[in-house]
Amino acid sequence: MNNNSKGLQAFLLAPLTNQKNMARNTIYSLLLLCTLSACNDSDDDAKDMTYPQILSEGLDVTPVDCQQFSRGEILPVCFQLSDDIELGSYNIEIHNNFDHHTHSTSSADCPMDPQKQPEHPWVYNQDFSIPNGLQTFNAKHEIAIPTDIDPGDYHFMIRLTDHAGWQQLHAVAIKIID
Amino acid sequence: MIATILTAALVTCSAGSDNADLADSTIMLQEVSVSGQRQRDYQMRTSQSSIQVNREFLRENLAGSLMQTLEGLPGVKAMSIGSGQSKPTIRGLGFNRMAVVEDGVKHEGQQWGDDHGLEIDQFAIDRAEVIKGPAALLYGSDAIGGVLNLFSNHIPTDSFAGILQLFGSSNNEQLGVSAKVGGRKDRWFYRANATLIDYADYRVPTDSIQYYSYWIHLKDQRLRNTAGCERDGSLMLGYAGQKVLTSVRISDSYSKSGFFANAHGMEVRLSDIDYDRSRRDIDLPYQWVNHLKVLGQTSWCSGDTDVKLNVAYQNNLREELSEPVSHGYMPTPDDPLERRFDKHTGSALVALRRIIGNHELRSGLSAEYQHNRCGGWGFILPDFETATTGIYFMERYTLRKELFVNAGVRYDYARTHIHSYYDWFKTPIGLDSVYVMRSAEMTRRFHSLTWSAGINYATELWTLKTNVGKSFRVPIPKEMGADGINYHIFRYERGNPQLDPEESYQIDASASYDPKGWHFQVEPYLNYFPNYIYLSPTSQYVEGLQLYHYTQARVLRYGLEALVNYEINRRWLAELQGEYLWARQQSGEKKGYTLPFSIPWSIDTALKYRFGRRNDGFVRVAAHIVGQQDEIVPPEKPTEGYWTLNLSAGKQLHVGKQKLNVAFQANNLLDRRYYDHTSYYRLIDVPEPGRNISATVGLEF
Repeated sequence: MNNNSKGLQAFLLAPLTNQKNMARNTIYSLLLLCTLSACNDSDDDAKDMTYPQILSEGLDVTPVDCQQFSRGEILPVCFQLSDDIELGSYNIEIHNNFDHHTHSTSSADCPMDPQKQPEHPWVYNQDFSIPNGLQTFNAKHEIAIPTDIDPGDYHFMIRLTDHAGWQQLHAVAIKIID
Repeated sequence: MIATILTAALVTCSAGSDNADLADSTIMLQEVSVSGQRQRDYQMRTSQSSIQVNREFLRENLAGSLMQTLEGLPGVKAMSIGSGQSKPTIRGLGFNRMAVVEDGVKHEGQQWGDDHGLEIDQFAIDRAEVIKGPAALLYGSDAIGGVLNLFSNHIPTDSFAGILQLFGSSNNEQLGVSAKVGGRKDRWFYRANATLIDYADYRVPTDSIQYYSYWIHLKDQRLRNTAGCERDGSLMLGYAGQKVLTSVRISDSYSKSGFFANAHGMEVRLSDIDYDRSRRDIDLPYQWVNHLKVLGQTSWCSGDTDVKLNVAYQNNLREELSEPVSHGYMPTPDDPLERRFDKHTGSALVALRRIIGNHELRSGLSAEYQHNRCGGWGFILPDFETATTGIYFMERYTLRKELFVNAGVRYDYARTHIHSYYDWFKTPIGLDSVYVMRSAEMTRRFHSLTWSAGINYATELWTLKTNVGKSFRVPIPKEMGADGINYHIFRYERGNPQLDPEESYQIDASASYDPKGWHFQVEPYLNYFPNYIYLSPTSQYVEGLQLYHYTQARVLRYGLEALVNYEINRRWLAELQGEYLWARQQSGEKKGYTLPFSIPWSIDTALKYRFGRRNDGFVRVAAHIVGQQDEIVPPEKPTEGYWTLNLSAGKQLHVGKQKLNVAFQANNLLDRRYYDHTSYYRLIDVPEPGRNISATVGLEF
């Protein structure tokens, strides 16, 4: 939409918010319908149509598939997050994989323990914000692994949104040992 | 001319039709084809774009659900909402943006609900009508996109008649039986029907699907636990006098259906339930829905005046059950009752119609009260009560025999009271532990003034009409008061208590041209919302899930449907139709994006051959071609175009006095794997059903 018609649109729409001017609204709306029909396809400026990225390859990326950690240790987290326009926020979640379910973003074939019933599995779920206006961000955390949880196969999930609301997921298969 | 109008009015009265505009007679229903003239008479009755669906169409196109049956109509779509259920959309608007009306009364379901169908027995329906475009004037809130008008109150003409139907389909191994009887003795009449349907898990042409980053393998290409059953029944008693027509109809529709086992619940967890044991059983998670309706109708007509009174009570009861799991601070619940909705609706309508010279005047007064209570351990919707009242006045003026103008205005007032809701478990906040409030108590009042005006003009070959109107809908309590996890779609949804009534302005036009053997029709429209209510995905996380919140945005939409039919000769008929829709959000967070579930362009083409001495047999080959959809909004994915080949055939056999109808349909004959952009399952990469062959045998006696 070009600037002239944007101005016109704003002018025409201003009275729409006023409930009292019903008849005028009507006339304006009809005018608007006619005006808008003449200009449409050009208002797509800066529309974000891509997902944000979680860089999962690199020397400092952690955790990675099949990585093992001990109870009571620190689980270091480091991911490079990016978006072509603006990042939103992210979430880190850890849940057990004692039932051997699979995630499509994890292609690894790690050796797994036998299936088992969870007794006191580790559940971690935390939301994190990213400062406004950033296109790249380094997600760096040190998560303490509790000492009293069930050891075994776990999934580490990182979820990322961009400002427009697109969401990207990344799953990593890890193992917690004694 | 006056005589014509009067005749129409009398036919209306004696046939007991609900919409006084729409004369219907037994003769028309029994006719093998609707003549061009009759079609034009119908088109001249309203300045809005509308389609009439007779019993013959319903019989020839009988599919798994009523909506799938109506899906072939231009501008009408069945939106798949999972587990084989679908809801209607008209020109891309569905749920609370269109009204489903049965026998003149708005059908109350949980319209907003994502995962259950219409709760109507399609075998009880005699005929249907689709109004495309704003219809608030007669139907009040919600009728923004249009109205699906269903009629099941046709008055029997014989002392005893009925139809017994048996049907089955291959894809979900569905079996069903339906019986309908009716009779008339002097001025008293009755009708009764019963339908039983049972179906298994449905089949999709794929071995695995990806859901929320998980890979799910399917056994025998079946979508686990999507089996279900349906039980419907109705009874109607009435009196059809010279001037007075009165009837009472009680109907009940019950269904139970499983949810796709791998796509329900907080997290995708493997269950101990052996879903692959049987494809006919229904395990957790599942839902059951019951819809009870009692409808009393009385109309009185005398000369140039008729008065109509409708009083209705409806109860919707729905439960969703799933394996209890703990989440966050919520401990494992004791029972599987995740959600329960119990909605009572009482409504009344008085309508008056009077003909004075060339003027036909109509006015009406309607009132409705809704009472909704929720239960279960999952919260998505607060308890609420809503009272609505509306008054309308409209006039239709006959300028010349072939030229009508009409205009009307309506005022509605609604009051919604939403109850507060607190978690049933405690959440630690700081050093304290509290029951978190999910919904605050509030009362909102809404006013709306709507109107409509139009013109109809017909010549021997042309029918031209145009209509302009404003419609509205009151925000639903979910949009204002939701604050919880939507377990079905893995997101956190938050309502907005400040929402204004959604308004919509639309201009429609319709032109048809009928030279001998041909029928051309084109129906463009332009639609503007100053404040479309939109559930927008944000960049935030709440309780580990992406937050979606309700906002309002300016939206512009336009599109058209076009249709060409050519009757090559008495036996052969060629059909071609297409539709296109464009939508753009013009303000707010998603400015520049389209609306969710935007319908891609489509073209349908068919060749029909009629046979038999009475021309009452047919074979029809049809191709359904759908374009690629790149117009998306988060979290959608672009959807590739596809085409399917469909075949149908039918024959009416005369066995003595009885008629035997045999119908056969094959959908997606080539078993193609494709995705429907407007399906909820598109978001989780579940393709549409594979090849489905269905057959129906009906005995009319």
